[in-house]
Amino acid sequence: MAVSLKETYELLGCIQCGRCTAGCPVGFRTYLNVRKVVYEGLTETGPRDAKGRPEAWNCTTCSNCTDRCPKGVKPMELLIGLRSAAIEKGKAMPTVRDALESTFKHGNPWGRGRDKRMEWAEDLDVPVADEGEEAPLLYFYGCTPAYETRAQDVAKSLVRVFAAAGVPYKTLGTAESDCGNEIWRLGEQGLFELLVEGNTELFRSHGVETIVTSSPHCMNTFKNEYGDLGIEALHYSQFLKELLDEGKLELPTPVEKTVTYHDPCFLGKHNEIYDEPRDVLNAVPGVTFVEFDRSRERALCCEGGGGRMWVEAVEERGERIAEIRVNDAVALGADYLVTACPFCLLTLEDAVKTSGNEGKIEVVDLSELVAMAL
Amino acid sequence: MNIVVCLKQVPETAEAEVKLASDKKGIEMEGLPLQINEADNYALEQALLLTEEHDGDVTVVTLGPDSSDEVLRMSMAKGAAEAVRLAGPAFDRGDPVAIARALAAAVKDLEYDLVLTGCMSSDDGNTAVGMALAECLDLPHATYVTQMEMGDGEVTVGRELEGGLIEKLKMKMPCVLGIQTGINEPRYASIMGIAKASKREIAMKSASDLGLDEGSVGEEGSRTKLEELAYPPVGEGAEILEGTPAESSGKLAEVLREKGFV
Repeated sequence: MAVSLKETYELLGCIQCGRCTAGCPVGFRTYLNVRKVVYEGLTETGPRDAKGRPEAWNCTTCSNCTDRCPKGVKPMELLIGLRSAAIEKGKAMPTVRDALESTFKHGNPWGRGRDKRMEWAEDLDVPVADEGEEAPLLYFYGCTPAYETRAQDVAKSLVRVFAAAGVPYKTLGTAESDCGNEIWRLGEQGLFELLVEGNTELFRSHGVETIVTSSPHCMNTFKNEYGDLGIEALHYSQFLKELLDEGKLELPTPVEKTVTYHDPCFLGKHNEIYDEPRDVLNAVPGVTFVEFDRSRERALCCEGGGGRMWVEAVEERGERIAEIRVNDAVALGADYLVTACPFCLLTLEDAVKTSGNEGKIEVVDLSELVAMAL
Repeated sequence: MNIVVCLKQVPETAEAEVKLASDKKGIEMEGLPLQINEADNYALEQALLLTEEHDGDVTVVTLGPDSSDEVLRMSMAKGAAEAVRLAGPAFDRGDPVAIARALAAAVKDLEYDLVLTGCMSSDDGNTAVGMALAECLDLPHATYVTQMEMGDGEVTVGRELEGGLIEKLKMKMPCVLGIQTGINEPRYASIMGIAKASKREIAMKSASDLGLDEGSVGEEGSRTKLEELAYPPVGEGAEILEGTPAESSGKLAEVLREKGFV
């Protein structure tokens, strides 16, 4: 017998205070009403899957609702669960279906071939661990920096920074596969488990002790969702902070820019990594740092997480959040809107164009800012 | 309403640099992911939609190596009730007619109101098996079907013609239809669903199980034989645009403007 949503997600704790809805970044621009979803779940009056509640696909899994719930209810998990129930019935929108099928076939959600996974590194001297070769310090560059031309700049910048600091890292070359963070959040638990199994085996065969990731999303899932992986997972901002503290990384070239920083949800809200990226940013000489009003745990989500890169948002209205973010950054007088996540980089850069701010501000990944200062 | 869907597994080559195998009778398969033939995926979806609406079961049939079980399991995960695989060396290297003859022998004993195939395979691209199958079963056939409307004992189909034209045909059932891509939106088969389907039985049929004379199928039963695959000769007029994506897209826009395409 199917277990009810209220039992699976322990919804009876809900006191309908509405903090989830009030904190939901997409609640004000789509029909997603988190409190109502929880209410209909606990009273068993609502749809049991995202097919009947398509706005569940609008969730960015930023974690605001779960973080803010005073009773420890986890609405974000409920929303992912509604997606899972739809996925199990084969009800995935074509863009999601294609991303999932691509991940199964090619190890990435971008529909690109595995043999093209290292094209970003073609003109660079990037060390690749041969089969079975020890790779205690692994740079997990990730699917988006591998294939998406703008996000490739993140991986390219990071390997330049690693080389300058003499970091003895290795990559897994084209053997690297999707981390599964977005796959789990798109509701494909079976595929996620397959990825966890494959990646765990791969990391162990290379004797990996530390993984440094380009993306907060990869770091998040390795750190929090891979069970007893026994491998330290760091976002590159944490790793660069260590290199700076140890005096291994020197940044002699000033970057005379006014800079603000957008907290990626999976670095900030999910993993409470707020200081390291700011410390790295402030280690760049010449930089004038200005803080967003809505920063750290109050930061706005860019809408790129939770698999939203592959989701056609359902009945959205009004300004995209990334556009609000860009407008706020322009109002702060920032030359650079810096972030530290490939998805944020893409959504914010798109928003610069769609909000008519081209020429007024540039979106720069923290890795690029550091590379400028080498 | 019961529907039989004939489908096959093909290598995905969209992203690959296809290389000829050393014997020039095929391509190097290493590193190529295998998947359901694209048009067959639409045929399967169409069958599932129709049986969901009109009640009935879908049976999927394939002829192929062991790896083909993956597409049968995926089909069962999506909702197919039964799966049949034609297996054995007797079926090897058959031409489209020999393949159709084998499929017909498996299909004829099933209960069906419709037989659906994809309109074309993405590997050999003969667009012939569906038609030959209809001939073997002595049933009416239509190709490139993009519309279907069910009637009483008959189906009205829309066939995609050139220039955006649609040809409407009223066909008596049972009949064999070659389904064109785009007729529907194929559903997703979850990994858990495929894992569950892997416990279900696939009916394996050899040539003798089907009462087929081995000389009537496979290479022996084929009137055409593959001599050799070759790369197309290098033509003229192609230009590779070099540079970063921003540079090459700028150059491309320039070319399109010069040639008057935009």
